[in-house]
Amino acid sequence: MRVRFWGVRGSLPVPGSKTERYGGNTSCVEVRSAAGTRVVVDAGTGIRKLGKELSQSDSGGRADIHLLISHTHWDHIQGLPFFSPLYHPGSRLSVYARKRDDLHLRAVFASQTDVPYFAVPFDETKAAITFRELHDHAEFAIADVKVSCARLNHPYIATAYRLDADGASVVYVSDTAPFADILFEDQFIANPPSPGAQLSPADQARLVAMRDRVVRLCEGADLVIYDTMFTPEDYQRIPHYGHSRPSDALAVCHDAGARALALFHHAPERSDSEIDAIVAGTRAVVERARFGIDVMGAYEGLDVVLGRE
Amino acid sequence: MELTFWGVRGSIPAPGPGTTRYGGNTACVSLRTAADRLIVLDCGTGARNLGISLMNGPLGSGQGAASILLSHAHWDHIQGFPFFVPLYVPGNVFNIFGGGKSSAMLEGILEGQMAPQYFPVQTLKNMGATIEIAAVVENQPFSVEGCRVVACANPHGRAGALAFRIEEAGRAVVYASDAGYPAGGPPAASLALYRDADVLIHDSTYTPEDRRRYPDRGLSSIEDAVAVAVRSAVKTLVLFHYDQDYSDGDVDALFARGRRLLDEQGGAAIQLCAATEGATLAVGS
Repeated sequence: MRVRFWGVRGSLPVPGSKTERYGGNTSCVEVRSAAGTRVVVDAGTGIRKLGKELSQSDSGGRADIHLLISHTHWDHIQGLPFFSPLYHPGSRLSVYARKRDDLHLRAVFASQTDVPYFAVPFDETKAAITFRELHDHAEFAIADVKVSCARLNHPYIATAYRLDADGASVVYVSDTAPFADILFEDQFIANPPSPGAQLSPADQARLVAMRDRVVRLCEGADLVIYDTMFTPEDYQRIPHYGHSRPSDALAVCHDAGARALALFHHAPERSDSEIDAIVAGTRAVVERARFGIDVMGAYEGLDVVLGRE
Repeated sequence: MELTFWGVRGSIPAPGPGTTRYGGNTACVSLRTAADRLIVLDCGTGARNLGISLMNGPLGSGQGAASILLSHAHWDHIQGFPFFVPLYVPGNVFNIFGGGKSSAMLEGILEGQMAPQYFPVQTLKNMGATIEIAAVVENQPFSVEGCRVVACANPHGRAGALAFRIEEAGRAVVYASDAGYPAGGPPAASLALYRDADVLIHDSTYTPEDRRRYPDRGLSSIEDAVAVAVRSAVKTLVLFHYDQDYSDGDVDALFARGRRLLDEQGGAAIQLCAATEGATLAVGS
């Protein structure tokens, strides 16, 4: 399979000369199996360029896409109205995301292009669009690609996805806080908890179980793509924003025996040279600890081939 | 008055090496009045950098006030709002003006962007600053940060987008983004709003060829922008809201074409600028 990064940024797109190398588009990763099954994880602004590439391909703009959504915060869905296959008759788009009690998935997406926010209402797109709502630990197949899910620790709750195909595996773990200090559900947290504040034993147990599930999801993975938006200082300051540090990602990868880690969902303020330094620092930790994990900083256009191509 | 451009792009932010000179952020312009007060025109992603730049002043310590004028609520004009950091400083006061049948309706539109399924802050009320929201009445002057403001809706696809004329001490700036005039040309009210402005910031999304390819998008070409600038006898025309696929070279070409069209159509005296992220423009100097 081939993994391609189309958007690697968190929060909002950040154009400019300081983000030229890693890229300023928000989250979007494409996974294509050797048999040609195309699974896309998240629809940040990076998906616009994927759409352009598809429209220049032999299919004449038509596409058959399976879109897995980690969660519906803007930076993970805001590119979809600009995904050109939506406007090609004959295209098929299957959208998957976690089932919620309060809102239907379709309504969340349709509202994005309602009046007064966007010029083309969802019902006027030309593709055949279907929605599938998933439970926390769903497992299913998309043609030759096996998909497994785990719940993440993020405001309003996010989902991690593991894709197995061609004798290889990739896991997408974004967005998530570490599995400590705060149990995120639907609540708004105005202020960070005081450092060292104890969680209730019940919440603590749920976080331990959640992390175990994520470690199991990453077990033996060839590549783990992980939300590493935070520096250690960010985590001290704003742990209630719900993101991880490279050290959190490394610990999960190590516990899971994963082979490679892509640092992902870079903070909007992070310049190219700062990301270079974070990647180098994380590699140094791996070397000292003799972890045997290949660390890369995800950048727009990065292609990773895993297993059979 | 002084204008600063923070986002000059239309539709969707366009990061990448091809857009670094003019910039890839969506629509946001700040206007510093002669009396040193702040008006923000639209809140595309450019608003993030504007917000950061303001944190050294009174807005950084909760002692600031500013007004925000919203042309309409398409994403590229509001998506920077949740990332405009002075809104998170308690003590700051923001007055927001925009379209809507009622102020409550406009507030609902802005709340729609903050809702928990889309953004972790969940509601405007969690942002911290005092936020007052008012729907404007077209063609009826109102006062914003000591300036006289008039709003007038331009046709924009199936919707409309407000153009704003802002006057202070005999100077006038007009912001007219997202204008898709019908074949017969702009409405008389729009031309009246632009009349004799010192600066007209005008939608110039497309080349005339691309405008013909996308007739229903409700956006202007360089030809449309030049025509209204000449007809309303403005002093400076600022090209704005470039298509997301236009590279810096494409915008250079758009600018050159604009200059040629102005010279050919009786607008040789009109100064032409291509809005550029980070650039400032003094009004009437």
